[in-house]
Amino acid sequence: MEFKLLDIEPYVVLSLSGEVDMQYSPDARKQILSVLERSKNLLVDLSKVTYIDSSGVASLVEGFQLSRKRNLKFGLVGVSQPVMQVLRLARLDTVFPIHESVNERIAAD
Amino acid sequence: MSQLAEMAASDPVLTAEILRIANSPFFGLVREVNSVQQAVVLLGQQTLRNLVLCIAVKDVLNNVYLPDLDVTSLWESTLRRATAAELLAVNLGLEIEKCFTAGLLQDLGLLVLLTQDEDCSRYWPELKNLPPTKRLVRERELFGTDHAAVAELLAQAWSLPSELTAALAHHHACDSMDCSTLCAVLHCADWIAAVFEVENEPGIIDDCHHCLTVHLSLDRENSEQILNALPARTESAARALGLRINPQADLQKVLENANLQLVEANLSYQQLTWELQQTLDERNQLAAELDRELQLAREIQQSLLPAPAGSDGPLFGINIAAHKLSGDFFDFFQLEDGRYYFNIADVSGKGINAALLMAKTSSLFRCLGKRIHHPGTLLKLINEELCETSVRGMFVTLVAGQFEPETGTVRIVNAGGPPGIFIDKDKRTTPFGASSVPLGVMPDTDFTVEEFSLGKGSLYFFTDGIIEAKTSRGKPLEIEGLLQILLKYTDQPPAERLHLITEHLCNTSETFRDDITLLILDANA
Repeated sequence: MEFKLLDIEPYVVLSLSGEVDMQYSPDARKQILSVLERSKNLLVDLSKVTYIDSSGVASLVEGFQLSRKRNLKFGLVGVSQPVMQVLRLARLDTVFPIHESVNERIAAD
Repeated sequence: MSQLAEMAASDPVLTAEILRIANSPFFGLVREVNSVQQAVVLLGQQTLRNLVLCIAVKDVLNNVYLPDLDVTSLWESTLRRATAAELLAVNLGLEIEKCFTAGLLQDLGLLVLLTQDEDCSRYWPELKNLPPTKRLVRERELFGTDHAAVAELLAQAWSLPSELTAALAHHHACDSMDCSTLCAVLHCADWIAAVFEVENEPGIIDDCHHCLTVHLSLDRENSEQILNALPARTESAARALGLRINPQADLQKVLENANLQLVEANLSYQQLTWELQQTLDERNQLAAELDRELQLAREIQQSLLPAPAGSDGPLFGINIAAHKLSGDFFDFFQLEDGRYYFNIADVSGKGINAALLMAKTSSLFRCLGKRIHHPGTLLKLINEELCETSVRGMFVTLVAGQFEPETGTVRIVNAGGPPGIFIDKDKRTTPFGASSVPLGVMPDTDFTVEEFSLGKGSLYFFTDGIIEAKTSRGKPLEIEGLLQILLKYTDQPPAERLHLITEHLCNTSETFRDDITLLILDANA
């Protein structure tokens, strides 16, 4: 798994790629938490994620929960098809704010 | 009269020095030497030339003012090589004077390198303590050249005999090229001297014996004789030349030191082995303890599952853990009014944290379920509790249901789990997909209840380990694959069916990365 951080006001965009599984979800979690702990709004770009397991989803859930506690904005953008399938199956697509792209999200805010 | 004698005669200081040395016990002359000419006659021209050379080298060194340079040990080292070469010559019947001279000059290049300036001179203690080959390599690192190359240039500038020049130039290359006997003598003299100079290299004595055998065909006895004779001979030569050197340790002492070092090295090796073994033992002990803990946890976890399939009721379930501890669970129990509560769930992640959350959820379900008979309300309450104590975003996908045997009514709440599959008596299938989000994700969530009649059909619940399991073709089984298997055994009695389906799944899938959990509701028995 690789990741990339980008500042697009008013968000920090964290792009994950590859497989977010048991092995790599701790890294994803660390990145997600570090952004939120700096009190920054976070968008997670999942367009390049090819696989996500429940531990990876838990990292997103934790980010979602922490952002609510801190009154920060959180969302997913460019969710790839394999990730969307997992989210839909668990109805988690109804929990996370999901947008096609960063721009679309900003326009919707 | 030789040119040498004439030259010496013109320098009264040199003459005095020659006479002093010639009369020293080193040469063991019976008659007193009174003139340079007499010295030439009695000692021979070669010896006299050596004397002059020694005096000249000594003067060079004494005139260098480098406070940090240990001139005494440098001299000692130079003289040790000259003496070693001399002893080799005696043993091999070679020209003694020629070998002594060559030995005296073999490290002259090093003198030049070290006495360039103060910076260079401080490397002497380090170089002194290195075996010959390593010393040469280090010189190249430090100075960009080595003493053999410098000695060659000096010898050429001074027009020294070509055999000597070649020996000085190549005495470190004996292993890689054919060289003269003189060259081999210098090479061996270096190793002999190193035995007395290099500390913390207990193997150097054997290296030295090996070198003498290979290059000069000297057996161990002969080479030991030379090593034994060297300290006293070096001291004697130093005295004769009026040089101050440190008292020479004899070979016995050197051997004792080397043996001591070997013992120490072995001891520390043994200690290291022992410590390593201890660490391994500790690790194994910890692993065994952890294993026992896991085994205990597994037993407790298994005890949370209902009695094995084959019980009297309408529910049949199985859980096969992919690892020691499972993140899946299923449960069912009968309420006082005859209704059955059941659930099947999967905790995000794996391992102990997943197992603990599983135990918590399962206990909440069982404990609260006995009082709260509406499945939607029950899940709402469990969800609040899990959200309140949420750790690391962990969540639980759970399908819960209630079955009323009297009416055949089934109520299902699917909180983020894979669809429950209903297969009616005509083998028509209806999926009951997730209608709500998993537990532990978001507080204040409502859980939708779906109600239908079981009739003569069966209801199947499973966790995602089954549909994600790779088939022998390398593709996930998916729901379609599972459906086919379920349909194949649908006519079997439920307990038997559960067994057959599990067996089929295990044969179909080469490896189960995840836990397998399956629950069947069938009231036809």
